[in-house]
Amino acid sequence: MPNTIHIKAFGMVAEKIGTTELVMDHYQDSEALLDALLVKFPALKTIKFSLAINKKLISNKQEIPENAEIALLPPFSGG
Amino acid sequence: MEKERKPKNIFVQGSISPETIAKSIANHSTKTDIGGHSIFLGQVRADEKPEGKVLAIDYSAYEEMALEKAFEIREAIFAKYPLTCMHIYHSLGEVKVGELCLFVFTSSKHRKAAMDACDELVERIKAELPVWGKEILDTDNHVWKVNV
Repeated sequence: MPNTIHIKAFGMVAEKIGTTELVMDHYQDSEALLDALLVKFPALKTIKFSLAINKKLISNKQEIPENAEIALLPPFSGG
Repeated sequence: MEKERKPKNIFVQGSISPETIAKSIANHSTKTDIGGHSIFLGQVRADEKPEGKVLAIDYSAYEEMALEKAFEIREAIFAKYPLTCMHIYHSLGEVKVGELCLFVFTSSKHRKAAMDACDELVERIKAELPVWGKEILDTDNHVWKVNV
């Protein structure tokens, strides 16, 4: 099985990129993935969002484990 | 009284009915060591935005992560306050203006713990759960809700 990253997008991010799920090639760390995402979806440059790796919010550059589930999360607005 | 320690679903489809809340209150009548309840109810407000008037909020969530986070918050609040019970319900999908979208319910022997815990829970739910509200407007437009 090829090494891939499963990406889920939510809220305004999903709206900007036009999908709620996509699969991308594996990137070593969150910064490399972010760069690739911004190239693939320039619209993401205009909004604020965070990354979660395997359901954990990250604040700094982090390694991406194999077959990780990544989520692109705009600012939360529950309640 | 036993404390609930397992992750459980907090999401309900659509609005939270006043009957659900009444029933939940009634369910506590057998827990006679409780001396005080505190309840927070979030209601969808008909905000006037530059883009139009809010008719409803369509809620979505990263459910698996939200449930993990809700469990973590729940454990932290149980550890911090002497509570008897804690219940959290959040809507998913469409909730019209005037309807309820969040129900947070804490109970304790004495009022202060229930009130403080309820307050902290609501703040943490709004800040930490990956949930999003899309405000549906009367102009066929929508805007994404921003928590203040």
